[in-house]
Amino acid sequence: MSAPNPHDDPAALKELQDAIYRDKVLRARAMSNEARFDEALELTNGVFERMAEGVMWQLGLSEPVEIWNEVRRRMDRLARARDHQFYSAVS
Amino acid sequence: MKVEELATLVIAACEVEQVEYMMTGAFAVSYYGIARSTKDVDFVLSLSPSDGVVRVIRRLEPEVSFDTQVQFDTLTWGRRHVGVPRGATGLKVELFELFSDPFVQEQFARRKSMRSGQLGRSTWLPTAEDLIVQKLRWGRSKDLDDVRDVFAVQGPETLDMAYIENWCRTHGTIARLNKILTDLPPL
Repeated sequence: MSAPNPHDDPAALKELQDAIYRDKVLRARAMSNEARFDEALELTNGVFERMAEGVMWQLGLSEPVEIWNEVRRRMDRLARARDHQFYSAVS
Repeated sequence: MKVEELATLVIAACEVEQVEYMMTGAFAVSYYGIARSTKDVDFVLSLSPSDGVVRVIRRLEPEVSFDTQVQFDTLTWGRRHVGVPRGATGLKVELFELFSDPFVQEQFARRKSMRSGQLGRSTWLPTAEDLIVQKLRWGRSKDLDDVRDVFAVQGPETLDMAYIENWCRTHGTIARLNKILTDLPPL
């Protein structure tokens, strides 16, 4: 007999989400503030490397300038969506 | 260009130009909450000396190209300068000018120094309480997630809740604060 699917039971799903979040919090609490700060730097570098690899794979690019221009274009689109109505450009 | 190189460039420029600064955004959130990645390196810069921001931007110019158009935060009308590094990266630099808003002034005055091994130097961050107040004021979904994470990791009992509640009452964000505290899962 297969295990029940938590997606069919809102209470079970909430319990699962809380357990995942609890693990993240307990891991963070086990680190120093400084270690978390440094981890954010490493995470950021890693995410941009994955984005660049994604661009290389998806568009078949190999020139670093082209790759990073495309990463920037994608980041600009994200920023426009996230910051919509939050910033006003005034010359 | 790695993010620590970019952050170090800005810190060094502020130090050389003798402009007081504070890192904010994801790195402050990660210091007090759960580490997360970011797309930009955010700094608040003092306007003393009055041309300090211009001098920092000028000093960064060989490495970072700044948009000539200044942007305004539509919530508080703070001025924001956005820079794109000339090196291989998708990161941006955002420099926010310190302005006359009472909370922004107090947050900056209360900032604290921390040393990062990855940066290989010290930098300035807001206190946990001020970060929470600021994020509640902005109130985007990611800001509220950040507040929840700081409360979850630090524990409300370790924070100056009277200070937080006082500013939230001033900003009209007490309902946001209470909802986050109520919704915190048992840890």
